[in-house]
Amino acid sequence: MLRGWHIRHKDLQIIVNLKRRKLMSKFFKAFLLAFLAFPFAANAVTVASWGGAYTESQIKAYVDTYSDPSAIQFENYNGGLGEVRAQVESGNVTWDVVDVLPDQAITGCDEGLFEDISDLYDDFTPAPDGTGMIEDMANNGVTNLSDCCAPQIFWTYVVFYDPDAFPGDKPSRIADFFDTTKFPGKRGVHTWANGFIQMALVADGVAPNAVYTVLKNQTGAVDRAFGVMDKIKADIVHWSAGAKPLELVKSGEVVMSIAYNGRVGAANLAEGENFEYIWEGQLIEQEYICLMTGAPDRDRAIDWMIHASSPTSQAEQAKYITYGPMRASGIPIIEAGEPWGPNGQAIMPHMPNTPERLKISVMGDPEWWSDNGAEIDERYAAWMGN
Amino acid sequence: MEDIISTTDQILTTDGLPLKVSLRKTERKNKIRAFLLVFPLLLFIIVTFVVPIGDMLLRSVDDSQINNVYAKTFEEYNKWDSENDELPPEAVYEAIFNDIHYGDKVQVGKALTRMNYSKSGWKSLIKKTRRAIKKIVKSGELPTSYKETMISIHEGWGDRLFWVSMKQMVNEKTVIYYWNAIDRTYDIDGNVIMQDEKRRMYIKTWIRTFKVSVYVTFFCLLLGFPVAHLLANLPLRYSNLLMIFVLLPFWTSLLVRTTAWIVMLQQKGVINGVLVWLGIINDDQRIQMVYNMTGTIIAMTQILLPFMILPLYSVMKVIPKSHMRAAQNLGAKPVRAFIRVYLPQTVPGMSAGGLLVFVLAIGYFITPELVGGKDGQLIGHWIAYHLKTTLNWGLCAAIGSILLAIMLVLYWLYNKIVGIDNIKLG
Repeated sequence: MLRGWHIRHKDLQIIVNLKRRKLMSKFFKAFLLAFLAFPFAANAVTVASWGGAYTESQIKAYVDTYSDPSAIQFENYNGGLGEVRAQVESGNVTWDVVDVLPDQAITGCDEGLFEDISDLYDDFTPAPDGTGMIEDMANNGVTNLSDCCAPQIFWTYVVFYDPDAFPGDKPSRIADFFDTTKFPGKRGVHTWANGFIQMALVADGVAPNAVYTVLKNQTGAVDRAFGVMDKIKADIVHWSAGAKPLELVKSGEVVMSIAYNGRVGAANLAEGENFEYIWEGQLIEQEYICLMTGAPDRDRAIDWMIHASSPTSQAEQAKYITYGPMRASGIPIIEAGEPWGPNGQAIMPHMPNTPERLKISVMGDPEWWSDNGAEIDERYAAWMGN
Repeated sequence: MEDIISTTDQILTTDGLPLKVSLRKTERKNKIRAFLLVFPLLLFIIVTFVVPIGDMLLRSVDDSQINNVYAKTFEEYNKWDSENDELPPEAVYEAIFNDIHYGDKVQVGKALTRMNYSKSGWKSLIKKTRRAIKKIVKSGELPTSYKETMISIHEGWGDRLFWVSMKQMVNEKTVIYYWNAIDRTYDIDGNVIMQDEKRRMYIKTWIRTFKVSVYVTFFCLLLGFPVAHLLANLPLRYSNLLMIFVLLPFWTSLLVRTTAWIVMLQQKGVINGVLVWLGIINDDQRIQMVYNMTGTIIAMTQILLPFMILPLYSVMKVIPKSHMRAAQNLGAKPVRAFIRVYLPQTVPGMSAGGLLVFVLAIGYFITPELVGGKDGQLIGHWIAYHLKTTLNWGLCAAIGSILLAIMLVLYWLYNKIVGIDNIKLG
């Protein structure tokens, strides 16, 4: 009895083992196949972008409206050219298009990480009145397009506050941000210099459109900015992640903060907040999509870039995030279509680059920044830590 | 002796081979088999460890890219009598004129990133000049004086500071990145001097990194020791529960824990709120505990604590309880018994935990980045910055290599003082 059971048990074990081995080999094969197939599975244009609400808006505005939405896939990255350079140098390019900051658009083009597409600019969609893309951008004050990229949006460093925090007078000018006697309380500022030093100069009386001229031509202009920043140094809370300034202001940790305008717009439009902007002195930065050198799906990538940089596409994106179209002709499309927001909200109050706001804004000069940014950032770090 | 060997040589196996040969054959077979078994692992270590570190060390001293682009310029530049002449001679201007124009566009572009780090402004200087030179060459009229032409294109060519900064680039194998990583640079004669005062922040950051790592290690030890002791000595059902308390945060996402600390520590946060509620501080005296170094130390201590507790626990677990009893039996008071008998036996755990925490802390990035604010960012921040933003990979590699060297020195010191055999991880 016992012996018989023992044998049966043994048989059973063999069967189980066999099955397990089969299962294992199946699993192994599937694994190997998945592993091998992975690089080839990406049979689409891969766009690397920042993720979050921004990429969602890109997908809605540029992919869902594209002739073949399944041909485009987005991948998140953390910004910077580190991964781009690693891909190009190793010869293993898996991205086709990268969404980058303007100074990186320039550096990447200089270094040959992005492909020069300036010959193709004539193929890009003109404005409704026939103005070509380059001129259309120039109408918005952008002259420094790198030769490898197509325009996306304007985003800005802007000061915002919760009006409830100021029962009496409310801050309205950038100088108020640097004046803690008139408006006591802490200020939220990011841990790098860009945006902050330009605001400091405007607060010190430099005309917004002259900030870069002053930085370029006047010796000691940077010292001057740091001098203004010194005034509120003891009252600064430094943030480094884009969601932080909203939390800081909401929780009352600071009374005013510099933030990305799109984040403030989203809080106002989607979360029912009532934040006010100080548009004066806001730094307008550009965002580009650039073609990787050696992009695996180059032609389709260019076709998509043309689609994503047309005025209508750019106006469409503003529906989902309050970043402004870099094509000047995008703004009238939004204005005509108001209320343009997805929930029937008017979005022009949150657009950073209306003609009136452009007049009091600092237009970023990525060329100057890519020249001087590293030195200023190091100086800023020394200043913060002292 | 010889006789014996020669007789053993005569012994044959059943195959007719001498025993020695046959033995050697099997031995070689075994060796090959053993090697093949470890080969995947060896390959793995080479690919993931040796190659990247080697690459990093090479990059930290390699400046060949720019030396290829400006080969002629640098050759002429080295002949420049910089003591007597304010600006370099005509030959240098001619050489750089040609190097910029005839150099491969991408290679010149790559060199820009590197040049700009030595002095801000190189980028636009070269780019503007390149465009202007293109026009000049196209027009067919080569300049009679390259020097004057270039200065008229951009006044930067008449600025001695640009030429001084070139001194940092002329060596194909260079240590300038290491000097840059500790706030130093070259003057016109190639002497090492301090970087511009306003720009000095690396030494400060290095010291801060060290300070934070030491503090974090110390606090981890301070907090981890009693916990590990409890874990090792409590009855099983309590110690299991306690172990879960230790491990649960360990398994929780790093970002969640970091953010939780921000909520706890900020001025309108939990801790300040409780202090104000208890009347210990006034509402306008709320303490700034986050977005500075304090926040970094607190958050990192909590996050790294399990790395101290677990090795300590595994060591304490095997210390027989009878040792303390024996010591007390022999007349030692509890404190003395603890210091003389128990503590020395926990040294392997303390040193393993300490080394582990310190190594992790010195290269820590994400937590200091989020809670560091004004003065809590560590050297890892600058590696990431130069890797992504300025693309100054030489400097990144130099900083990384210095970190590696610091770790090796610490390891060596540790081995000298405590002995590496004394380490116990589990």
